[in-house]
Amino acid sequence: MNSRFLRALLVLIVIGVSLALVITRAHAQVETPEPERVIIGQVIDQQGQPVEAAEVMLKASGQTNPIAEASTQPDGRYTLILPSSNPISGSLSVDIQRAHFKDVDLELDASAIKDLRLGETVAMPVITLNRQINLAFWIATLTFVIMLLLIAADKLHNTLAALVGASIIFAFSYSSDLLGEGLFIFNFQGALHYVDWNVIFLVMGMMIVIAVVERTGIFQWLAFVAYQLSGGQAWLLVTILMIITGVASAFLDNVTTMLLMTPITVQIALALGINPLALLMPEVMASNVIGISTLIGTPTNILIGSYAHISFNGFLVNLTPGVILAMLGLTIYSQFAYRRELQVASEVSPLLLEKLSERAHITELDHLKKVGWVGAGMLILFIFGENVHLVPAVTALMGATVLLVWIKPDIEEMIEAVDWTTLVFFIALFIVVGSIQEVGLISMIADLIARLVGGSLLLTMLTVIWVSAIISTVIANIPFTAAMLPVIGYLSTIVPGAHSKVLFFCLAVGSALGGNGSLIGASANMVTAGISERAGYPISYMYFIKKGFPALLITVGLATLWLILRFLVLSPPPG
Amino acid sequence: MSGIVCAIRGGPDSRSTIDHAISLAEETGLPLYFLYVVNLDFLAHTTSSRVQAISAEMHQMGEFILLSAQSAAAAKKLAAQGIVRHGKVVDEIINQCHEIKADYLVLGLPQGRDPENIFSKGQLQRFSERIEREAGAKVVLTGGIADE
Repeated sequence: MNSRFLRALLVLIVIGVSLALVITRAHAQVETPEPERVIIGQVIDQQGQPVEAAEVMLKASGQTNPIAEASTQPDGRYTLILPSSNPISGSLSVDIQRAHFKDVDLELDASAIKDLRLGETVAMPVITLNRQINLAFWIATLTFVIMLLLIAADKLHNTLAALVGASIIFAFSYSSDLLGEGLFIFNFQGALHYVDWNVIFLVMGMMIVIAVVERTGIFQWLAFVAYQLSGGQAWLLVTILMIITGVASAFLDNVTTMLLMTPITVQIALALGINPLALLMPEVMASNVIGISTLIGTPTNILIGSYAHISFNGFLVNLTPGVILAMLGLTIYSQFAYRRELQVASEVSPLLLEKLSERAHITELDHLKKVGWVGAGMLILFIFGENVHLVPAVTALMGATVLLVWIKPDIEEMIEAVDWTTLVFFIALFIVVGSIQEVGLISMIADLIARLVGGSLLLTMLTVIWVSAIISTVIANIPFTAAMLPVIGYLSTIVPGAHSKVLFFCLAVGSALGGNGSLIGASANMVTAGISERAGYPISYMYFIKKGFPALLITVGLATLWLILRFLVLSPPPG
Repeated sequence: MSGIVCAIRGGPDSRSTIDHAISLAEETGLPLYFLYVVNLDFLAHTTSSRVQAISAEMHQMGEFILLSAQSAAAAKKLAAQGIVRHGKVVDEIINQCHEIKADYLVLGLPQGRDPENIFSKGQLQRFSERIEREAGAKVVLTGGIADE
């Protein structure tokens, strides 16, 4: 009885649902709307780049209210849908408005209007917006320059300088309602659009991994192994230390590597009676050079990789041979520059060597093993993850999480180990750089460079590498690189043969290797000098230039040769 | 408690300071304390999250530098103690003098760019007066330059 009832109920439900579907379908057929009347088009800037978030309005002559309106998408395209209730009579025009661009008013011709009346889609010609230099342009430009000067002159902490810059941008933008439209740069949502969260999360994840690594004593042990391998021969010791520091810098950040390597290097030098600077200077320069061979080796590579979608493998394949070449040059130069200091270890102290040997051990072997496994897993994901569209930031975060779960360290300590000031610096920096991009300064610089290099890929490569290298000796390379990314992006689209992303590799080489040219060229230089001075061996600004600038010329020169070989000789651009 | 505090930071400039302190200890028969202060102010403009790890490394480096000084004293058959402190250099020197009720503070005049470590004549005078006032130790200066 029960089953019969259930069967009957089921049949009723099926019939009911079927009827409902049929009725709905019939009703839908009856109420099929008239064909939509649609206008499509695209808005670009003077560089041919799509313009996003432009307001596009269709207006009838003599009317102020638009018939239809839309915003342009990231590809600059828009779709205007005319309401069917609106009769099309008289002339029509498409008005386009976008902050920092001049308004455009384009009248539809008679055939387009006729097509619309017939219900056909009208494709408008691509519309180019011209930049408008207003007060906002100068505010953003001045703010960016002031931020750079504050950082370069060491007047404010990097993070504070960038935060001040971002606050100035917002203060003017949000006062534009009261003081005039010309002050508007972008609102909060617009600013967040420029923040590269891939960079933020990648840096954060790697910071957690590094915090675990640095407590294992691996650096101290490696430095002592370097001493043992060298058999006390200073020339060999400096070479091994350069390789260890460099390879560590390729996977960890340079600052942490040098923070941990410098004290132990000073101790080895003192024990052997060598001037510590003869070991420290080659070490820090090697750190700046080898760091560029991987995506995660330098903050500038992280910025470049994320912006240009260059994978871990991309850096490895395209830069590592150049890095090896540059390292060969740097090693020979270091041996020459410090030949006197490295000649004789005059006062070898058995007491100090014994002390050194006592301390040279892994303090957290279990943690180190786990870091090794997780690090290997992360490396595999960095290398092969691109096949499944796994972004490096996710790999870094997953690696950090696995380590935290596996090792179970004091979570508070680990959170403290994340350098939040650096992350905030990046966010504020993205906003300030975004502001000069928004107002058109970046486009103007890109245009100027494009005119100067005149479409020659070789000339563009040389310009990007060497200008970046020289500028990076006097201003911090992170804000410089962040500002240069859209410029390089534009040049990559207009210079024939540059679509291979070669110019981004040129920027990576120039901005990172330029750090060897002066003491303030890289944060790793500053921390090395800080520790060295506290050991009684100060590294002055002039001393660094004297030893570092020739190294810059050699390493950048050799890396330039490689890039020319790689992108112009081995894989020449078509045509 | 009494004694001689010799604040050093290693390097060739410290040698004359160490020798002077050893001579003074031999003359007076007072116990000798070599002091190294770990100061991480240089990290303020680069990275703040690495303080814990680098602090331990700098402590070891300080002990190592002190060991050299202690060896020099041992060569003169003099037992010297090595002390590493963390904080502002000037404050920690004063604290150390205060703690052991030092009779003398032997101080070198290092040449460097860190403003905290450059003593102009005026600064030096004020520092000496402060030491004598707060810790009651006589300041003995050796080597370096004090004319900036």
